[in-house]
Amino acid sequence: MIEAAGLTVELGAGQAVREASFVIAPGDRIGIVGESGCGKTMLGLALMGMVPDAGRVSGSLTVDGTQMVGAGEATWQRLRARRVAMIFQEPMAALNPIKRVGETVMEPMMVHLGLGRDAARARALELFREVGIPDPEARLRQFPHEISGGQRQRVLIALALACDPGVLIADEPTTALDANVALRVTQLLVGLAERRTMGLVFISHDLAAVARATERVMVMYGGDIVERGATGEVLVRPRHPYTQGLLSARPSPGNMRATAGRRGRLPTIPGSVPPLAELAPGCRFSGRCPVELDVCRGERPPLRGTMICHRAEEGA
Amino acid sequence: MTLLSVEAVTRRYRLPRQALWSPPPVLTAVDAASFTLEAGRTLGVVGESGSGKSTLARMVMGFERPDAGRILFDGQDLAALPPAALRRLRPRFQMVFQDPYGSLDPRRTVGWSIAEPLRATGAEERGKVAEALDHVGLRPADAGKYPHEFSGGQRQRVAIARAIVTRPALLVADEAVSALDMSVQAQILNLLMDLQDELGLAILFISHDLAVVSSICDHVLVMEHGKTVEQGAVAQIMRNPGTAYTKSLLQAGGLL
Repeated sequence: MIEAAGLTVELGAGQAVREASFVIAPGDRIGIVGESGCGKTMLGLALMGMVPDAGRVSGSLTVDGTQMVGAGEATWQRLRARRVAMIFQEPMAALNPIKRVGETVMEPMMVHLGLGRDAARARALELFREVGIPDPEARLRQFPHEISGGQRQRVLIALALACDPGVLIADEPTTALDANVALRVTQLLVGLAERRTMGLVFISHDLAAVARATERVMVMYGGDIVERGATGEVLVRPRHPYTQGLLSARPSPGNMRATAGRRGRLPTIPGSVPPLAELAPGCRFSGRCPVELDVCRGERPPLRGTMICHRAEEGA
Repeated sequence: MTLLSVEAVTRRYRLPRQALWSPPPVLTAVDAASFTLEAGRTLGVVGESGSGKSTLARMVMGFERPDAGRILFDGQDLAALPPAALRRLRPRFQMVFQDPYGSLDPRRTVGWSIAEPLRATGAEERGKVAEALDHVGLRPADAGKYPHEFSGGQRQRVAIARAIVTRPALLVADEAVSALDMSVQAQILNLLMDLQDELGLAILFISHDLAVVSSICDHVLVMEHGKTVEQGAVAQIMRNPGTAYTKSLLQAGGLL
């Protein structure tokens, strides 16, 4: 069980995550969506105690009741070994290229669980089967470059599951994969979370993948969780102007808006996510928001219901 | 008017030898692909990685020669042209890649990079660079900046400016929006459509994402393991996919 209250990550240039509060219970599947540079990955790293050295974490983050803000590296290491695990976007970079993938998956079990080689090997084989790697005996002996991208991602998932974590944080787990492979990896993660009653934090800018993988979703912009709720609700009836903008920019024939005498164009959110240091002190989305008020730039919107927005009352 | 005509084009690669005395296995990356692209229109080529779509793009650009079949650009067979004639023709067809950071020289100003295709043909002019920047929604003053000073979406705009500076008739876009965030992706797709309307560009749009293809292309060609499994009007194929493979691509893209 993870509980965050007012969790803030301060980097040199500004707040990469601003007062995030949420609960992840066993078996919960939560999505975090938003554009790059909105704090999704930094929030994931904060849950792993892996914020870069220059960063400062404040607020409260408890894992199974233990306060982790201000905890030492030794405490974090114990937690990372057994309770929370993370998989990253680029599976090639996350695997040691000169080690057989079986050895890589066995290592944490030998170090953290005290298993002997044979026991670790048997468990690795079991995990390879569980994540759907064909011919697992032969795969154990292969090197990362010998296997495809989708299979590598499965190896990484097996590695993350090695010490039976309570929560798995998946940072853009499908972004580098072909659509069909991405679909199967997403289905695998959902199945694992259900079977093991494991929490799943699914960080992605791919709204279709998040819709498939999660029950709840948090939309981040400029370090703020601007909207949250049941995935089916938020992605079908978005209320925050940012979520609405993101969804309508999705390429699909139904989203095209025709103007006089021209082919349809996609609605866009003007501009791009500004660097941390240039974010407005009030609503982070001001400057790009189509329904901005005078108050938005300077004054931070309070949390009302499922979103933070000055226009929340009007149903934005 | 038919601008590009690809006739039964095949490209094979020899794979590394598996055993000392056996002949090396051969991979047919593109197997007898045929299509035509009219001036000013957009054709999408979709498929998973390894389906041969990038090989097809490289052959259209004249970077690789087909083992069989012909590629006619404006009626001229690319593979039959002497190198000097191909160079003279090159300003007429240009390419945009997935990774704008990798395709721009980090130590040169973007103005220098955008002028590169002009220098290659001895047609360098300051005014053309400014005009190209203006076309892609950047300011002429941006010519003096370096690639790292731009965001990912802006860098892709720079790459597009370089591709259109010679006023080509054909633009080959290989996964040109795949690495971009969704809102930026929409901006770049709109930009490509604007350029097409203003300059009459034909676009060969290579992508693994059927959702993206469906929003910008008139026609689409679906590739699997080098073979063309389906081709036709986008709306038709989305409504009524003819193969299980196309259906799975639609499903995976959340379109079905």
